[in-house]
Amino acid sequence: MAEAFKTWQCRTCGYIYDEEAGDPPEGLAPGTRWSDIPADWICPLCGTPKSDFDMVEF
Amino acid sequence: MIAQDIAQTIVDPRAYADGKRIDDAFAYLRREAPLAQAQPEGFDPFWVVTRHADILEVERQNELFHNGDRATTLVTIEADRKVREMMGGSPHLVRSLVQMDNPDHMAYRRLTQGWFMPQNLRKLEDRIREIARGFVDRMAAQGDRCDFARDVAFLYPLHVIMEVIGLPEADEPRMLKLTQELFGSADPDLNRTGEEMTISANGVDTIQAVVMDFMTYFNAITEDRRKSPRDDLASVIANGQVNGAPLGHLEAMSYYIIAATAGHDTTSSTTAGGLWALAENPDQFRKLKADPSLIPGLVEESIRWVTPVKHFMRSATADAELAGQKIAKGDWMMLCYPSGNRDEAQFADPFRFDITRSPNKHVAFGYGAHVCLGQHLGRMEMRILWEELLPRLESVELDGAPRNMVANFVCGPKSVPIRFKMT
Repeated sequence: MAEAFKTWQCRTCGYIYDEEAGDPPEGLAPGTRWSDIPADWICPLCGTPKSDFDMVEF
Repeated sequence: MIAQDIAQTIVDPRAYADGKRIDDAFAYLRREAPLAQAQPEGFDPFWVVTRHADILEVERQNELFHNGDRATTLVTIEADRKVREMMGGSPHLVRSLVQMDNPDHMAYRRLTQGWFMPQNLRKLEDRIREIARGFVDRMAAQGDRCDFARDVAFLYPLHVIMEVIGLPEADEPRMLKLTQELFGSADPDLNRTGEEMTISANGVDTIQAVVMDFMTYFNAITEDRRKSPRDDLASVIANGQVNGAPLGHLEAMSYYIIAATAGHDTTSSTTAGGLWALAENPDQFRKLKADPSLIPGLVEESIRWVTPVKHFMRSATADAELAGQKIAKGDWMMLCYPSGNRDEAQFADPFRFDITRSPNKHVAFGYGAHVCLGQHLGRMEMRILWEELLPRLESVELDGAPRNMVANFVCGPKSVPIRFKMT
């Protein structure tokens, strides 16, 4: 069974990356896993590095 | 050095009210001198940062470009002198997140960050929808004409933020008046003197008087919440601790003031400007009516279109190079958000209001560590209002000329007369 989709949140501004929805304007197709996003990717709202995101549950 | 007529324009509150004058000045600068120094009469020289990419670059490097070392908004030499005299050498009348750098900025931001995160705001969605519906009902009850700025846009975000902070509804007119006196201090329709004012030492006196009125009000709120804490933002500020100690008096008062002013005025301006743009662009209105899933696009484009925060200042903590220019330690820099949001290098056809624009990476909320704390609340309020209003709004057109505030810092439309049909 495929692993459930997760959500990740920027510590600076609160932007949420939802793996299921992706972020098409950012070039991230729906279903793009967090682990598949490059390490040098930054938060689209505030520029915080990927390493400063936390996994969150709603 | 930027030509004097352009330098005067970018500090002139009337140019922002005019709209075209400021857009033309910034378009010229982006083309001819995208990062250059200006020295309007009475001001210290400062760098004018007009390109989207350069604004991001400055905001991203918040250790190299500080907020708090010099004034965070445009002030004349005389006004700066007067503020420092009043404030024991500090260039700031208040000390909110906007005037702080790390480590204080991060510590003070953490205090309320949780309140403004999307997961907390979801709890408020039903209540905010109820408030929005009430304003839409009131608009419908007005018949077929209203001033959308005064009758809806100024009041709805004000009501929301007053509830979030935990302030009584009866105080809303007072809070609106103080906010407009603060941000509209150069506008004779909004300020205390009824006279058009330039940035001057006199202007500082007027603004200081408004700040004192805010402080008197929030002193009483602090006392109340220390005695009887509630589940509201005022209680968080009144009882909060930073680095193991209660907030300083100036910092606490400044926290309230920024929440109670920027927390609604920017959303009001954007909402009013969004409807103004829809009335002028019936193709966009029709598109939205046919496909309500475009509402988030309307919200984002309205934010870019209005850009209610017109500038913030930064100063360099060390010699630096930016876009091929040598910035010296201590240099003052004006981040021109309306210019960044009309930058042809970032936005296709930037002077077109397009609710389907994607991506729409505007800089209206800033960028980096100081990015607007209330951005998720602002977006949510606007989305909900449009979700409630648009299904009932059959048509809308301007009913006279809208007018912008006369201001160069935080501003937007002050009057948007419309004629409309609603179900």
